[in-house]
Amino acid sequence: MTTTAIGSEKHTSGNFGEVRFEGVSKVYEKEGEEKLVALEGLDFLVQKGKTTVLMGPTGCGKTVLINLIAGYEKPTSGAVYMDGQPVREPGSDRLVVFQESALFPWMTVHANVTFGCQVQGMAETQTREKANHILNVVGLSDFRDKYPSQLSGGMQRRAELARALINDPKIMLMDEPFRGLDAMTRQLMQEFYVQLYEKEGHTNLFITHEINEGIFLADRLAIMTFQPGKIKAEIEVDLPRPRDFKLMATPRFMEIRAHALDLLYEEASKALAAGRKSAFDLVGALASTKDSCQVPL
Amino acid sequence: MSESVMAAQRPAKSASTRMKIILEKFFNFKTLRGFSTVVVFCVLWQLVVYYEVPYLLNLPRPLDVANNAGASAAAPDYWINWGLSLMRIFIGFIAAQVIGIPLGLAMGISRTFKQFTFSIFEILRPIPPIAWIPVAILFWPTRELSIYFLVFIGAFYIQILNVIQGVSNISVNVKWAAYSLGAKPKDIFWRILLPGSLPSIVTGMTVGMGVAWNVLIAAEMIAAQGGLGRSTWESYTNHNIPYIVVGMASIGLAGSLCSVLLRWLGKRAMPWTKKF
Repeated sequence: MTTTAIGSEKHTSGNFGEVRFEGVSKVYEKEGEEKLVALEGLDFLVQKGKTTVLMGPTGCGKTVLINLIAGYEKPTSGAVYMDGQPVREPGSDRLVVFQESALFPWMTVHANVTFGCQVQGMAETQTREKANHILNVVGLSDFRDKYPSQLSGGMQRRAELARALINDPKIMLMDEPFRGLDAMTRQLMQEFYVQLYEKEGHTNLFITHEINEGIFLADRLAIMTFQPGKIKAEIEVDLPRPRDFKLMATPRFMEIRAHALDLLYEEASKALAAGRKSAFDLVGALASTKDSCQVPL
Repeated sequence: MSESVMAAQRPAKSASTRMKIILEKFFNFKTLRGFSTVVVFCVLWQLVVYYEVPYLLNLPRPLDVANNAGASAAAPDYWINWGLSLMRIFIGFIAAQVIGIPLGLAMGISRTFKQFTFSIFEILRPIPPIAWIPVAILFWPTRELSIYFLVFIGAFYIQILNVIQGVSNISVNVKWAAYSLGAKPKDIFWRILLPGSLPSIVTGMTVGMGVAWNVLIAAEMIAAQGGLGRSTWESYTNHNIPYIVVGMASIGLAGSLCSVLLRWLGKRAMPWTKKF
């Protein structure tokens, strides 16, 4: 269903963005609590028109990084630049798809998708036209009058994608968007997203805990260190496009995966040694990927 | 099946099938089950009277109550009492919503406003509405106004607490998403915060309505002229026991009608909570 739903022409304007972190630190300090250094001296480039996948142990500051780009939070020091301009506040050029659905439950799919156009004062006919197109792209045309609670998990994710894409964002910020979906739906969504990207070519920053998903989607794979969060390594994922799931059986995929797992494993162990319960999630996840890596559990 | 298809089929139905549908709506197993417990209750009640159960010797027979209910319903005074009680409920209740909802929203949205107001609110809130009866009678120029005020107190604090809760229940991601999509503060208020807290507001109304009836009946028994509570109390002073029971049943019925009305309004206002 998702594979055939993609429209023939690009709907985005092709005006994609580049995000640069320069010496960004983010420290959380609360009275009476230990201060938490989420990010420290982070230099990082999210390349224009590429899919950058961000991985790292839970609690390493991945979501903070996205919040800084989106303008929800401000860096303690350093700055985040969007196409050379420092980020100051939220804007429709940088749109986030959250871990948990952030659809507005009291609006129909159509009202959710057109919310951005409406509050920005776009003409109604133009809004309707854009909505029709984008709902077609994500395969939700028949569900426009449903409320989010009446949709399946995968449909909710697609509605959220549509709500973002209709605004022609310069960058899509995907914060573990497919987490919590069942395996089948998740795979369909990954395939859908890869095809969407290959069609539209927008800039993407994608957070995931799932190594296969990460490599399958990525042009570049960035691995973060555990507290303080920095970029530990960046791996160029030179797998050919267009991609499909057969790719996962190729030797090159395996090679990249083994390399990435080594790096992730190091960080996960550190998180584990630091007594972070959350680190178990990652080590567990690595073990469940049926890789040969030794997990001391 | 989509709704438009169903709507297209509707005019095609004949009057008799429509009648059948209406009858089926009221006479089905669901309503029958509910009705059967009412019957069982009346039978038990009759048995209690028949066997002269100790302590319940004054209890009238169901049939006596039914006869008195019929006599009441024929008398205009009875309906005037209904009207008086309903009017008192609605004036006090609506005033509580009109003042309570904006105040609760303000407290939920602005931390500064909440810091200023919440402590005084928390001192006044635990005072039971009935404890306000003396000052209400002393301060308001008419008995009616003091009863409106007491009903208002009964529904007011509960609604404020619910609205504050409703605003804080809206996830930060939802608000962030709205800001990212270009929403201005007025959009956030009208299209996010208000509909987002509506489920809690409706809960606040439902609970508040219950308390409002409690307070109203107590206030009427003590201070009012007319009203369902007053007439029940007067039946007691006249030792007319069947009328006491008629009064109680009327109060129960009036309260349920108000709940039904609120539930219906809630469903109309929040179509997204419908499950299917």
